[in-house]
Amino acid sequence: MTGSTVAGAAALVQEALETYGDDPATVAALQGIARRLAEPLRVAIAGMVKAGKSTLLNAILGEEIAPTDTGECTRIITWYRHGHTPRITLHPTGGEPRALPLKRVDGRLVFVLGDVDAADVDRLEVEWPSPALRNMTLIDTPGIASLSREVSARSTAFLAPADTESEADAIIYLMRHMHAADVRFLESFRDTEAGRSGTVNAIAVLSRADEVGGGRIDSLLSAGEIADRYRRDHNLRKLALGVVPVAGLLAQSARTLRQQEFAAFQLLAGLDRGDREKALLSADRFLRSTIPEGLTAEARASLLARFGLFGIRLAVVLVSNGFNEPTPLAHELARRSGLHPLLDLLGRQFQARAEALKARTALVAVESLLRTSPRPGTGHLAAALERLQANAHEFRELRLLAVLRTTGVPLSPELAAEAEGLIGGRGAAPHVRLGLDADTAPSDMADEARRYLLRWRAVAENPLTDGPALDACRVVVRSCEGLLAESFARQRQPA
Amino acid sequence: MAEAGPAHPATPVTAGQLIQLVEHGLQLVGTGDREDLRKRLNLTLGRLRDPSIRVIVVGEFKQGKSKLINALVGAPACPVDDDVATSVPTVVRYGDPASAAILVPTSDADSGDEAAVDRQPIPVADLPAYVSEQGNPGNSKKLVAAEVFLPRRILAGGLIVIDSPGVGGLGSAHTLATLTALPTADAMLLVSDASQEYTEPELRFLRQAMRITPNVVGVLTKTDLYPDWRRVEEMDRSHLGNVAPGIPLFPVSSDLRLEAARLQDSELNEESGFPALIAHLRSGIVEGAQRLHGRSVSQDLLAVTENLRLSLQSELEALENPGGTPQMISELEAARAEADDLRKRSARWQVTLSDGISDLIADMEYDLRNRLRHIQREAEAAIDQEDPGPAWPDFSKWLEVSTAAAISETFVLTSERAQWLAGQVADHFAEDENPLPVMQVSHSADVLDPVDAMPGMDAGHVNPVQKVLIGMRGSYGGVLMFGLLTGIFGMALINPLSLGAGLLLGRKAYREDKEARLKRRQGEAKALVRRQLDDVTFQVGKQLKDRLRLVQRSIRDHFTEIADEHHRSLADSVSAAQKAANTYALEKDARIRDIKAELKKVDALHRAAQAVAAEVSGAGTMMPAGGPR
Repeated sequence: MTGSTVAGAAALVQEALETYGDDPATVAALQGIARRLAEPLRVAIAGMVKAGKSTLLNAILGEEIAPTDTGECTRIITWYRHGHTPRITLHPTGGEPRALPLKRVDGRLVFVLGDVDAADVDRLEVEWPSPALRNMTLIDTPGIASLSREVSARSTAFLAPADTESEADAIIYLMRHMHAADVRFLESFRDTEAGRSGTVNAIAVLSRADEVGGGRIDSLLSAGEIADRYRRDHNLRKLALGVVPVAGLLAQSARTLRQQEFAAFQLLAGLDRGDREKALLSADRFLRSTIPEGLTAEARASLLARFGLFGIRLAVVLVSNGFNEPTPLAHELARRSGLHPLLDLLGRQFQARAEALKARTALVAVESLLRTSPRPGTGHLAAALERLQANAHEFRELRLLAVLRTTGVPLSPELAAEAEGLIGGRGAAPHVRLGLDADTAPSDMADEARRYLLRWRAVAENPLTDGPALDACRVVVRSCEGLLAESFARQRQPA
Repeated sequence: MAEAGPAHPATPVTAGQLIQLVEHGLQLVGTGDREDLRKRLNLTLGRLRDPSIRVIVVGEFKQGKSKLINALVGAPACPVDDDVATSVPTVVRYGDPASAAILVPTSDADSGDEAAVDRQPIPVADLPAYVSEQGNPGNSKKLVAAEVFLPRRILAGGLIVIDSPGVGGLGSAHTLATLTALPTADAMLLVSDASQEYTEPELRFLRQAMRITPNVVGVLTKTDLYPDWRRVEEMDRSHLGNVAPGIPLFPVSSDLRLEAARLQDSELNEESGFPALIAHLRSGIVEGAQRLHGRSVSQDLLAVTENLRLSLQSELEALENPGGTPQMISELEAARAEADDLRKRSARWQVTLSDGISDLIADMEYDLRNRLRHIQREAEAAIDQEDPGPAWPDFSKWLEVSTAAAISETFVLTSERAQWLAGQVADHFAEDENPLPVMQVSHSADVLDPVDAMPGMDAGHVNPVQKVLIGMRGSYGGVLMFGLLTGIFGMALINPLSLGAGLLLGRKAYREDKEARLKRRQGEAKALVRRQLDDVTFQVGKQLKDRLRLVQRSIRDHFTEIADEHHRSLADSVSAAQKAANTYALEKDARIRDIKAELKKVDALHRAAQAVAAEVSGAGTMMPAGGPR
């Protein structure tokens, strides 16, 4: 099913290429779309300035390559793609792309622009042999609400252009608190497609979660509660598929914990509790402190820069509670940082439906092309487009999901929540939809799917169910049928 | 407001000394029949006994505003939470024992009456239930403000700290509320945490706020958490420098300060950065405000002594030099006629004032209408484009936000223009106003300083604008302060309130009639928008108009009072001189002695007032407009 949708979209783009073959600009655009269909999903990381976008990108990659800084740092849109050898390419707004020297300081890339002004750079492309990039292209964007308006405007134009489809298929949106600017931006990102194929394809991340409670040891618990509240927030719910708190700095550094850092934590954990708490009272104190003697000033500064006060406090507590090997400590820190739930959500929401998201982007592009430059002989294109859009069940699921999350459907809240799960609102994998464990036997899955199917058929046949609810029921029934079919298919496969 | 506690400021001229001076002045006046002067001094005394120096703490939400205040006063005055934010302005001031109260608008529907506010005492422990988003989300309890009274030394000098709900991006209703509260504040603390440099919305807010109160102090919080705070500080300093020169910035850590208080650790306290901030609050803001207080007190005293001296001296002159009396009387008469002219409606300053206010009101209404009309056009275009039904909640939110932004702009513009007008009126008053005639005292020159133009009117120490501001704030302040506050916060409440009704109506219309034709729905939506904006224009227009009328009244009363006093003194002098001419020689000597003794007292007070004036004006010329009430 999914395969055919992407194939159909690709075929449609090919057809359009033939029809518009005499218009070089359109051909270039269509070729871009065709390429995009074959590429991994494009996920942009966006947010207000200093929300921790580059840090989170490093955490997802598991490698510290994106430059980060206290001041506003990322000023150019930077793509991170998978490549077998590291390479940086600069794409100027006008002119030919050119290669940049590969320079790294402390592991991080340094973009040597030379005599090129940042304003004249359309984007940078970094190819990197990272496994995380195999099925996802990550795009680091400058912050919105930046002091230099052009930089902000560039991000907004890139992610939420007024008239064309967005360059990104999906978005990870970082915010420290829900600010008016955040909501506004997410709205405009949604609006770019809302009128056309309306879906919700953003994940919100409560970034810098470790700073929520002033770096207290229970900060992440508080952050979890805040994320919970945001998840239920009426405004955000219709803009984002989920909200997860992540301590980006901790996540990034935990994945790259070094031996001497572990040793430093052990030293600190060995201190008397009162002394330790005093030394960890503030960043300044920690830098100045003379205990433990084994720590040099540089080591302290580097610990602070990599883990933050919260990270150090947490690591020290963990070490004194029995995590006395580097690897388990690193795992525990990463677990606490909230990175795993984010990766999990990314997998469930984006990667599992990458094909549908990409196909949708392509169809939106073709649709806008047909609308903006209509010409005789495109009738069959429009028909094919409509057929694809109407028949692809994924799109209907996405649309219903958007409706459920925005205006709502006249169903009881329990039914609406169940429908959301079944159409893949919590993740596209069959067991997630059915609310079962990953290792459930196919026969049990089939039973569960049948149960849901019967229930939803009954709802659909109920004479009291009216217009919009009935439409929703039909989509859910169709999803249940798909789930049932898939369970049967698995049952037939030899284990 | 009388319970604000004793004043113990550590300034060169203490409030206690000033109170003594004023009481002395009252004794002098008390013997005569000058009711007007007595009233003036009584007002001065009231202001001195309750010196309110209002510092409003503003910033984006979750920057640590409430915690900053708690660390400042060393008590959990404002509820602090990891998640939930402040939703109601909290006024922290001196009071013993500690107590709390909420200010609720009285239920009678007409919100135009500004004094309609009820003060209900609440247990201090219940405060979070009233002022935080958790207990009172979006201020659904519709409180005007909460008050916390604490027996803390730092507040004893009359310092009042106001915690404001966070500003969540420009254009929100909170921003509007904060902006409208600024004119009543002596200073503003702009709070931003050390995790990053100022963002664009923060600086945009700062620029707007600077147009209302130029007395801004930057505070960089949470320095304990961020090792790189020094770099952020440096960047912020340069951003502040770009907005306006001379805005100070103080990096602080509330957590360290609270910890220091717990451990009684003075080194830690020093590290928290608070001592520097408190020192600045003391020297820069409290003292600055007290200087302005001192200045206004000294001006009041000088004016009073001049008025007293004029008639005493005229009488003395007439007694000692009967030959010159007719000429002196004619001079005095002429001056009195001029002072009389100044009181008339046709006086130039009066014309400037009433014309200016009329113009200002017309311009304000035009500006408001114009901005709202733009919004209306945009809204109608949006409604025409698609079915307003599904997007209605989003749409009404947008409407609310853009309306609030438009009102903010109009408000800033209006308050700027009002200040300018006050200056203009002061200039005209000062130009037309004739100084009191110079007395030729033949042989008592050693006793009496030569009387020149009344220093109260003299632009030497205080320029006319400052004079008006001193006067205006005086008559504004005190009793009116809370009335003004209700008006202010009441205004901010307008939008969400009436919009809520509109929204409900809209929902109903759309839910009931799914099949209704799109055209009809669009028509209804447009009608709703129009009615809503009409409401806003009407209500906000009235509020702003009321404010401007208040400004007009204050300015007019201030100058009329001066002209009245002046007139009265001249009239008194004329009659005193005439009476002197008819006095018998025997009584003459006794009367001369009396007058000289009296003059000596008046003069001593005059010199004391002059000393105060010289001191406060020498000590600095800050706070051109952000001075005290």
